[in-house]
Parts: sequence; structure tokens; C-alpha cells
Amino acid sequence: MKKRHEQKFVVLAISVLLTLNIPFILIFDSSDAVLGVPVLYLYIFSIWFITILITYRILNKYYE
Amino acid sequence: MNSAVLILIILGYLGLIFYIAFLAEKQRNSRWVNNPYIYSLSLAVYCTAWTYYGSVGKAATTGVDFLTIYLGPVIALPLWVIIIRKVIRISKSHNVSSIADFISLRYGKNRSLGAVVAIVCLLATIPYISLQLKAISDTFHIMTDAPISSGNGVLDDSTFYIALVLAVFATFFGTQTSDATEKHKGIIASIAFESILKLVFFLIIGVYVTYFMFDGPSDIYNQISTHDNFEQLTTIGGIEGAFNWSFMIALSFIAIFLLPRQFQVTVIQNTRVKHLKKAIWLFPLYLLLFNLFVIYIAWGGNIINGDTAQAEYYSILLPLNNGNIWLALLVFLGGFSAVISMVVVSTLALSTMVSNNLIIPYGFLGRFIQGQTDSNTQSIKNIRRVSIFIIIALAYLFYISFSVQMPLISIGLMAFVIVAQLAPSFFIGLYWNRGSAKASIIGIIIGVLITIYTFILPFTIEAITGSTSFTDNGPWGIELFRPQALFGLDFMSPTANALLWSMTFNLLAYLIFSLTSKGNYRERNFAEIFIDSKNFTNLQDNALVWKGEAYVEDIRNVLRKFLGEARTERALTLFFRKYDLPQDTQMADARLINFSEKLLAANIGGASAQILISNVVKEEEISLVEVLKILEESKKTIDSNKLLQDKSNELTSLANKLQEANEELRVKDKQKDEFLDTVAHELKTPLTGIRASTELLIDDLDEMPDEVRYQFLTNILQDSDRLARLINNILDFEKLSTGRTDLDLKYQNIAKTIRDACASAQSIASQKNCEIIIKNKSSIYLIYDEDRITQVLTNLLSNALKFADEQQGEIEVSYGRQKGKVLVSVVDNGTGVPDEDVKYIFDKFFQSNHQNRIKPSGSGFGLAISKQIIEVHKGEIWYLKNEKGGATFTFSLPIEKEKKEDE
Repeated sequence: MKKRHEQKFVVLAISVLLTLNIPFILIFDSSDAVLGVPVLYLYIFSIWFITILITYRILNKYYE
Repeated sequence: MNSAVLILIILGYLGLIFYIAFLAEKQRNSRWVNNPYIYSLSLAVYCTAWTYYGSVGKAATTGVDFLTIYLGPVIALPLWVIIIRKVIRISKSHNVSSIADFISLRYGKNRSLGAVVAIVCLLATIPYISLQLKAISDTFHIMTDAPISSGNGVLDDSTFYIALVLAVFATFFGTQTSDATEKHKGIIASIAFESILKLVFFLIIGVYVTYFMFDGPSDIYNQISTHDNFEQLTTIGGIEGAFNWSFMIALSFIAIFLLPRQFQVTVIQNTRVKHLKKAIWLFPLYLLLFNLFVIYIAWGGNIINGDTAQAEYYSILLPLNNGNIWLALLVFLGGFSAVISMVVVSTLALSTMVSNNLIIPYGFLGRFIQGQTDSNTQSIKNIRRVSIFIIIALAYLFYISFSVQMPLISIGLMAFVIVAQLAPSFFIGLYWNRGSAKASIIGIIIGVLITIYTFILPFTIEAITGSTSFTDNGPWGIELFRPQALFGLDFMSPTANALLWSMTFNLLAYLIFSLTSKGNYRERNFAEIFIDSKNFTNLQDNALVWKGEAYVEDIRNVLRKFLGEARTERALTLFFRKYDLPQDTQMADARLINFSEKLLAANIGGASAQILISNVVKEEEISLVEVLKILEESKKTIDSNKLLQDKSNELTSLANKLQEANEELRVKDKQKDEFLDTVAHELKTPLTGIRASTELLIDDLDEMPDEVRYQFLTNILQDSDRLARLINNILDFEKLSTGRTDLDLKYQNIAKTIRDACASAQSIASQKNCEIIIKNKSSIYLIYDEDRITQVLTNLLSNALKFADEQQGEIEVSYGRQKGKVLVSVVDNGTGVPDEDVKYIFDKFFQSNHQNRIKPSGSGFGLAISKQIIEVHKGEIWYLKNEKGGATFTFSLPIEKEKKEDE
């Protein structure tokens, strides 16, 4: 795997780290809900799922 | 449920797990056991009973923060591509058998560091195992509706027997050889199976609670929103909460790398590095699915129970209270699966550490030197077996004496915080070459002491004395030293507080002590190997710098003690062959030392291997500078060797190409000669005829009767026609093959062209008693040069006529569309082309030697020209023998729309 593609994972990890931490996580710190799913959970699970998708894509394309 | 029935079910289930492990072990090499899915599922050993029950408990009482345990891994997994790949590569090449071995290897196979790491792992994991036992015991009592009590004797306690069976399982499948890097396929396969079960059963209960007991997520949300602590359950809780949140994520980030059981499944039990490709996205997906319904089970439980006293076991209690005992049983078995896999892998990992990093290097080495191979491997296996039982016994003891008073969650978090103390040595050690063993040991010890003071001591004292004055007022009433709010920082949770203080001092100690003392050369050698692992993997055994005096015979003796006669000889023969050394080499060099240490490491651990080897060799001290210089040089040698190799490969391929070109030229030259020969010959035949006829005419001009003269003149005309045709053909062919022809391309109907060509061949056909059949009628329009294609068709037809059956000749012409092409075939019922000629029929001047007929009158150019024509049309022509034995010639022409007409 090329260094450039490896570094994509580092950037991905940093982005997830930032989005799921102070202060950004506090943006969604509320008790409201969408269809019975509290917004905080919705936010976390979406980030989680998107991370999996991106990882899957990069791995499938560039992993050797 | 009757407890006897439940015990029977448990035994049946354990039997199934044993059977799966047994099957997998029997078919070690099958695809079912060695695939990335099994590997990904084995990583799910991360989800223990704590996940299974603890998450719900936490979601019901404190809220969102149960998710942090899984978010750390979500952040960590993308980084595995870089970090874990490196760790696996190093571990495989050095026969690393545990996390303790790995860390001690990085710091020069340091024996004390290995021991410290092993102790830290024991400290963290034994309570964690007891937590699993507690979960089994609690759920067992809930299922059988018996009061949870600890007053019964050990022998009446079903948990005791379950723990015993698990120890037997780990022993049976985990210690079959003395090689600790051995892949335990059976255990891994059973864990993968359990991982599927626990996830599926948990999802089933999630769906049941959400959609059958309640009316979907919205219903649960609306009902819980009236509860008092609703705000706490759905939010992080402001900035202070967010601080704890971040610390917890950091904690689980570290844990996914360093928990002994996690290291065991990801690194030691990894069969192929490329399995990571699937695991890196599958594992987070697994965790995501596991957490989908946690909040709804937790909230559902809160709504129905009204209080949170037994929140941890909502997933069993809810179906049980609803009368759905079978569903409760499924959940129980799911939780049981989580327990089995955690306990088995953890004890296995710990027993390897206990034997290879604690017991063997501190006491058994002398005995091994005197012992024989058989007794040595047997004692190694026995040490591991005994360790497994001792570890489980200790966990059981801890469970009876402590865990009744302690909440599940604190025990789990305690394990995480203690293991986190290895983080600086592990992570920084992978990328910073100055980190030293001494600094590592000091850092870890300081970290653990602080953890004990700030985290373990408070609730141990609370559990024993029942008073919280130590926690609330500090030791001897000194508020500044309150363990859970050290120096007055009181806004953090106990875990965050412990992690912050222990990690700060651990990290600082590690950095400071690494810099204040000069590193040991051995240590630095391994540091370089770790940091630049890619290059040093290429160096292989050359990566170790070693100077001194050693005899192969001495080393052979040591190896024999552990590997046995046969394996030792095999390994040494391989080694000598690999490095091009004579088989009777006397003096050992650095490579052999390194090689033998690696061989031994799998059995007795890196540190012990080093000690054993250093006993039989005389090593000279080398200065650090010298080590670095030698390493640099050998790296350079490797680089320049690689460069040379590349260059030589390049030259070889160039030479090959030249040879090929030469060969081709030779063939071309021969072809040209043959061509000239044939042309001369072909031209000569009609010319001779003309000349002979003319001579006769001149000689007998007067006496010759008119009809004879007419015959001669006709002959001359025919021969000159033939000559002209031949010359035209040659010119035509040369023009086509050099691409100097202009095609008269038009958009037209190929069916018409075929009909016309057949019509003109009809006259000869009827003479030869041959029938030409056109099978299709439809029109196909495409762009081509009609004259040229007619030429091809005439050619194929005249060939077919020539070779078709003499009595009842039959030629079929068919055409059709296929994938943007038109295919036209001419089929005859003759004898077909002889197999040995098939390759050459499209060559110019080719005329079959095997025709037992009169030499055909053609020029031998027909098919060659046809091929050229079809190729300038960007089509293809080929020959196949048809089922009647005759020849089938087919050509294809691309159908392009009119836009290309101008080409």
C-alpha cells in the first residue's frame, strides 16, 4: 500500500477523533429525538457508519 | 427454569463448543478455518459479558457513555493499517508470543520489563475474568430464579464448575505444543462461532423489546422522556461530561491495542496479514450492530421496572418477566458465549506470559539446560497448563471475595486503566528509537501505583470497611490527596481522574528517563529494527549486531534441548543453505545467534532465549556508535544489493528482448528467401509454358495446323493471364500489408454482397456438382469496401469449392450479428485442413503439402490477402474444423454506426 493511501487512514482517524470529541460533540448534546432516536445517538451512529464506509472504500481500492 | 435443566443446556452448549473447536483443529488447513471472516469475528472477543450486560446497565443508569468503549476502537481501526500491520510483521519475524514478549523485545529482550508487563496484564485481567464469572453466576441465578447469595460452599456453586470446564477447554486446545506462537485454530473457530451467536441473540432481544414489548423506538422514547433522569440518559452532560467522555474514548482506544486477549487474537493468532483488509471495516460494523438496541433495552427496562436496581440484567429480566423463558435462555447463552471466549483467550494469553516472561526466565532455565528435549517441552506445557488453572482459580477467588460488593463496571474499567499503563512503552516505542527499558519499567510502575491509589484503593477500602471516608476526605483527612480528586481537580469521574494522573506521570517518566540515560546498544539495536521494520525485515538475521566468539556446536546443543534432534538439524541445514555457508561451519556469527534466539523465543520467550544463548557464547561489548554504524552499513549494503539486483534484472530482460528480436529477424529473413524462391518458381511455371509454346510456334510456323496453333496461342494467353494475376496478387498483398490501400468504405447491406458473390461462384459450382446454400435472409447494414469483401468471399468460396466433397459438394454460407459484430461463415463438407497446417493457412504462398489431389491452381495468396483485407476492416478471420469434418472459415466485421463513415 502506498504511503499516500496509508495516510488517508490517519486523516480519517483524526477526523473521527475530532468529530466525536469536545467541543464538537457538544453541538449535538440535546435531548431531542428524530423518530425515537435521540439526536446525539443519531449523530454518533452516523459518524460511526460513515467511517466504516470510507474505510471499506479505501481498503478495497488501495489495499495490497 | 429448573436449575438441573439449565445445567444440562449449559453442558450441551459447552459440548457443542468443544465439538466445533475439535472439528476446526482437525481441519486446520481448510478454508472454513482460515479466512478473514473468522479473523474478524475472533476480534469480537472484545465484546465480553460487560458489553452484553454492562452496556445496558450503563445506558440505563448513567447514559450515553457506554458507547465510549466502542468509539475508541472505531477511531483506532483505520490506524491498524499502519500500526497493527507493523506489529504483526515484527511479531511474526521474531516469533513473539504475547504482548509482554513484544514490549520486552522492543527494549532489547529485557527480562525485567517482560516480567513487569506480564504482572500488569495479570493485575488487569484476573479481576476482569472474575467479572465474567460473576456475570455467569448472576444470570444463572436469575434464570433459575434463585436468590443471589455467596453463602453457599464452593462445591455447590455452579460457577465453580463452569470455570473449571473453561480451564480444561483452554488447556486442551491451547497447550498442545510448547510453541506459544502456534495458531490455535480450534479456539479461534469456536470464538468466531460464539461471536455470531452473541450478536444474533442480542439483536433478537433488542428487536423483541423494541418492537414487541413496545411500539417501536418512538414509543420507548416518549415514555422514558417523562422519567426524572431522562436528561442524563440522552446527553453527555455539558463540558465536564464531555471531558470524561474524551478520556473514556482514549482509554478504549488504548485497550483495543493492548488488552492481552486483544493482542492475542489480532497479532499472535493472525494467520495472514491480508486478513486485516476485511477485519478493519467488519469489526467496527460488528460493534455498531451490537450497540443499536442497547438504549431501547435499557430504557424499556427502566420504564417497566420503575427503578434501575438490576439494570445490568434487563436483557434477561424483560423476556423472563414477560413469560418468554426461551428468549431469556437465548440471551443467557449469548452472554455465556461472550464469557467463554473472553475467559479462554485471556487465560491463554496470560498463561503464555506467566510461563515465558515470569516463570521460565526466573528459575527454570538452569533446569532446562540439564534436561532432555522431551522433558523440557513437557515441563513447558505443564507450566502453561498449571498457569491456566491458577489464573482461573485466582479469578474465582477474587470473584467470591470481592465482586459481590463491587459493581461490574468498576472492575472492567480498572482493567482498562491498568492496561493503559503500557501505552507509552508500546506506542512511543514503535516510533521513537530512544525509548529505553529502564524508562519503560519506571513509567509503568509509577502509572500502576497511581492507578492503585486513585482507583483501586478507594473502592477496595469501601468494599472492605464499608466507609467512604478515605474517598471523601483523603488519607488522614488531607483533602489535597483525595484519591478521586487529586490536588482538588474534582470535576472528573474516578476513571478519568485515574487515567489522567497515572498517564501523565507514566508518560513523563518514560520520556525523561529515556533521555537522561544513554541507551544500551542491544536495546538500541532492537529499537532501530522496530522503527524501520520494513527495511529491517529485508535484512532478516543481519539486523542484529553482535560481536564475539561462539561455536555452532554449543548453539546446536542448546537448540536440541527444546526443538529435538531432527528439528534442530533441519533448521540449521536451512540456515546454512540460506546464507551459503558450509554445513560444517565451526564458528557462529551474528546471524546464527539471531536465528537461534528467534527459534527458541517461540518456546520459552525472547528474554529467556537470549539468556540461554548468551550462556554458551562469549559476547564482546560494542559501543552504541558502532552498532548504529554497522546497522547503517548493512542497510546500505542491502540497498545497493537491491539496486544491483534491479539493474541485473533489467539487463537480463533487455538481453532476452534482443534475443527475441534477433530470432524474429532470422525467421523474417528465412521467410523472405522462401518468398523469393516461391515467387521465382511461380513466375517461372507460366513463363516456361509461354516460352515453350512460342518456340514451337516459331519452329513449326508453317506446317502447324490452325487448330493446334490456336491451342498454343490460347495456352500462351492463359499463362500470361496467370502471370498477370500472380503479379497483381503480389502487388495487392504488399499494398495491403504495408497499409497503402484506400478502402472504398460505404454503408451497405452485407447480405446483398454475399448473394452476389455466391451467384458468381454458382457457375463453377454447378460444373463441379456442388451446391451453395445461403442460410439467412435478413439484411445487415454496415460500413465496408464492397469490392474487397467480395474478393474475400470469392476466395473463401473458391477454396471451399476446391476442397468440398467431389460427389456431393455442399457449401453453406451463413451470417449473423453478435456483440456489435457481423460474423460470416463459409462451411464446406470436405476433409478440412490437416491439423499441422492450421497454423500456416493464412501465410502467403501456403499450399498444403498434404493434398492428395492435383496441385491446386491458386497462387497461394488467397487466404493471406483475405486476412489482410479483413484486418484493414478491423475484423478477424479464423478457421475451425466443423463437426462434419469439413472446413469452416469465419470472418467478423465490426458494426459501426454512420458517424465513422468518414474514416
